[in-house]
Amino acid sequence: MPADVAIVGYGRTPYSRAKPGERVYTVDEYIAWAADLALQKAGMSKNDFNDQGLGVAHAEAAHTVNWSASVAETLGISPQVLIRADQGGASASAMLIRATALIRAGIIDRALIVGADTPLSIPSAAPGLPLSPERTRGPYWDFQGPFGVMGATAQFALVQMRYQHQFKLASEQLGKIAVTTRHHASLNPEAIYRKPITMQEYLDSRVLSDPIRLLDCVPIVNGGLAYIVTSAKTARTLTTKPVYLKGFGEANNYYHGSRTLPDVTTTGFAKAAPQALAMAGVKHTDIDFFEPYDDYPFVVMMTIEDWGFCRKGEGGRFVEERNLRFDGDFPLSTDGGQLSGGQPGGAIGGFMPLIEVVTQLRGEAGARQVRNAAIGASCGFGGIPYGRPGRSCVSLIFGAEA
Amino acid sequence: MLTSKTTNKPLPEITDQTRPFWTAAKSRKLVLQRCARCDTFNFHPKPWCVECGCRDLAWTEAKPTGTVYSFTISRAVAMNLPGWQGELPVLMCLIDLDDGARLYGQVVHCMPEEIKIGMRVEILFEDISEEAAIPKFRPAK
Ligand SMILES: [Zn+2]
Repeated sequence: MPADVAIVGYGRTPYSRAKPGERVYTVDEYIAWAADLALQKAGMSKNDFNDQGLGVAHAEAAHTVNWSASVAETLGISPQVLIRADQGGASASAMLIRATALIRAGIIDRALIVGADTPLSIPSAAPGLPLSPERTRGPYWDFQGPFGVMGATAQFALVQMRYQHQFKLASEQLGKIAVTTRHHASLNPEAIYRKPITMQEYLDSRVLSDPIRLLDCVPIVNGGLAYIVTSAKTARTLTTKPVYLKGFGEANNYYHGSRTLPDVTTTGFAKAAPQALAMAGVKHTDIDFFEPYDDYPFVVMMTIEDWGFCRKGEGGRFVEERNLRFDGDFPLSTDGGQLSGGQPGGAIGGFMPLIEVVTQLRGEAGARQVRNAAIGASCGFGGIPYGRPGRSCVSLIFGAEA
Repeated sequence: MLTSKTTNKPLPEITDQTRPFWTAAKSRKLVLQRCARCDTFNFHPKPWCVECGCRDLAWTEAKPTGTVYSFTISRAVAMNLPGWQGELPVLMCLIDLDDGARLYGQVVHCMPEEIKIGMRVEILFEDISEEAAIPKFRPAK
């Protein structure tokens, strides 16, 4: 793909665990805050997006009618095009693909893409259970909630248990992902959990839903993120460090096998990643660092396999054999990921891998900077279909050079 | 969200689309939508057959037996109602019915250390309200 679009700015607000006494920001406030940071980084103003594009990720807490238009009104921006994504953790990545198509078609020159959520401040059925109204209606809920399914942790535990039945996977292999990403979080002042953990602490953490442990689970936070994408031509007038989109691939509602009795151990990345690699014209070995959607270490391991970094069933061994640190031979989740960084709702956490790739390729990652980072890959992974993993899978490949 | 005042567990919102399932479960029958064109059993209820797109789906009794495709042992209540607390640990499974649909189902009358992928199971029903019952499973005799 020609390097004709680039990211020129990004922003990530501080995250909050909404502890008693803390100022609780609204989704609107987080969106404006993240957009402000991205605009400052790009040297732009909100008015540069009048008659251009505004992308808004779905927010569970806000969930009003005409959500994207309502955000435009709140921000005082009058865009020509509204891009709205409701693909959960794939939303941020999917909106980049939509914006790219619009820019290439000459309809717009640039887009501001925003997302925020406050899952810890949703009126809930019980404390600590962010059961928003939209999660608890329709046949999807009616045939899970009353049956005793305990959310994402149980849903992924079922997939992991099946995987472990078909393939070899050791707890220490997943533990290595959790321990390494926590190390990266310790180097990232913006991460929520920064105190290093040991393998023994991982193995000793209590099992919530066999085989998933507490330290396998993503901590939920309130927060917002944003990025700005423009034509490459405009990008070069704004910054000396545009980050070019080199390739993308997307798979929605992917089935491995039949629709009624699929094999759940392969995700849509098996389809999306080869598309992205072919479009970018790069090989796996050209990718300097990898930013998966990491709500569970097991999801990271499956993502690595389905991208084709190793064969199906060998992800555990791959993780064991490679050095996953930012200064290793397979740098992984270099910002600490969502696992230690925090997840501002399932929908907004998907901005984090994309923004970390941009941060790295601009050389702005500080103590966790991957040396000579030239090509990076990130993932969007969103929604949990009934009995399977991952409704939407998006693979993105970026480069520091056009 | 509907909840049961007596059990503090979630209840389904019963619609004309899904009522046959709940009503049949009350009378201890498992019914699924069977596609008139390709015979696929669809679950959960769908507006058309997910395999072929045919809207002619007839509620049809399915064999009350199946095999554990996967399982987890939920040891804490998460993203559900506190009423489940009293039933922990919950053996939550994906069950492949002999008639070829896969569904989430709790296995009961089984110790956590006994549950296995490939285990044969049979259905039993539990009333959850005046209008609805849910299928659960137990190890096949
Ligand atoms: Zn059919």
